[in-house]
Amino acid sequence: MGENDANITFFKDGLRLDGRRADELRPLKIEVGILARADGSCYIEMGGNKVIAAVYGPREVHPRHLQEVTRAIVRYRYNMASFSVEERKRPGPDRRSYELSKVSREALEPVILTSYFPRSVIDVFVEVLQADAGTRTAGINAASVALADAGIPMKSMISSCAAGKVGGQLVLDPMKEEDNYGEADMPIAMTPDGRITLLQMDGHMTREELKTALDMAMGGCRQVYEVQRKALIDKYNQMEAEIIPDQEQPQEAEVL
Amino acid sequence: MERAFVLPGDVVGSAEEYVPGDCTYARGGIIYASTAGVVNIDKNGKSVSVVPKTNAPAKLCQGDIVVGEVTDLKDNLVIVTLAFKKGYEDRPISDEEATIHISNVRNSYVKDLRQMFSMRDILKAKIIDERQLRLFTGDDDLGVIKAYCNKCMTGLVLKEGKLVCPSCSNVETRKLSAGYGTGVV
Repeated sequence: MGENDANITFFKDGLRLDGRRADELRPLKIEVGILARADGSCYIEMGGNKVIAAVYGPREVHPRHLQEVTRAIVRYRYNMASFSVEERKRPGPDRRSYELSKVSREALEPVILTSYFPRSVIDVFVEVLQADAGTRTAGINAASVALADAGIPMKSMISSCAAGKVGGQLVLDPMKEEDNYGEADMPIAMTPDGRITLLQMDGHMTREELKTALDMAMGGCRQVYEVQRKALIDKYNQMEAEIIPDQEQPQEAEVL
Repeated sequence: MERAFVLPGDVVGSAEEYVPGDCTYARGGIIYASTAGVVNIDKNGKSVSVVPKTNAPAKLCQGDIVVGEVTDLKDNLVIVTLAFKKGYEDRPISDEEATIHISNVRNSYVKDLRQMFSMRDILKAKIIDERQLRLFTGDDDLGVIKAYCNKCMTGLVLKEGKLVCPSCSNVETRKLSAGYGTGVV
């Protein structure tokens, strides 16, 4: 967290720098099934974040020694494109992306029914094309939709969202300026019924602030879930509309 | 019939009312969907299942046609490592082994199994038992779709109803599928 620079103000007329209220998400857009080669895929825009997730599997595990006899393993790769940030990012995995891959995998693993596919692997690839604070939450949201798109059996979906503290005030879904110069950032991931699978915090908050921030972030996750849900239903209900008439026609013919 | 579209985690019924079927799971007396799809309630069987509408991984059921490779031959049993299910060519099956008993190779009596199959043959078969993964190759379109010469490992070619090796002229026999060598499953 950067120091709280006295010159920076985070609020103008009660609104944030990008015109949002304190408890408002950035515009969210989700597209399902955008990659032809992947078993499941998703593209997400969360404000300035642009992220693609691809899911492969269940498939054979290579190298073989990683395989588990009783369940599928989940591999999650978070990667930032070199052009995703202002200063060119040196390509390839680094300390930060290893950590994000690990926590994101652990955010999704509890809902995946891995015991259905012993000795196999479910690969999740998350590519950040453009970063604007909160890429891990965008990645988890995209990965969850991509897993559903790949038809991987899951106990439920996962939605993710961050809450932060800037200029002494709690805000939902911090953008880049708030993340860089704010006092705290707390990304969470949870199931729609409120079971938390990821909880991280960077910076400082009081105990009461943490409780309020958690409530705010959970509210954000519920909003994200509605968008995820709508994206999947839109995509597959369209197909549904094409399929149903074919199935119902012969039944009508029999009645006549 | 109910045609509700559900996502993983949506409630599809209660365990008091129904038996959880395909693509569902029960927790705390409530049945949830585990895959995105359409709810299907079987009133007679008292079960509730979800028919996946997404590109779901292949599930092996009785009557499905599968393709695999012969990885072991015993006196009256062939072990086949499955590769994929017909219609699901882009969702490979990983590490599943199935068996063909000598009695399920042809509709007629088979005396010597080694006259029907050989190691590394690629074959097409029908599942007759989805739990023990027992296969059947009696139908005309089922059987070996690609075989290799036992002497020199060259791909065998079908000439005038016989399998001939193009490089060493070795002649072999197999339980052939009607689609041998065509590459069409």
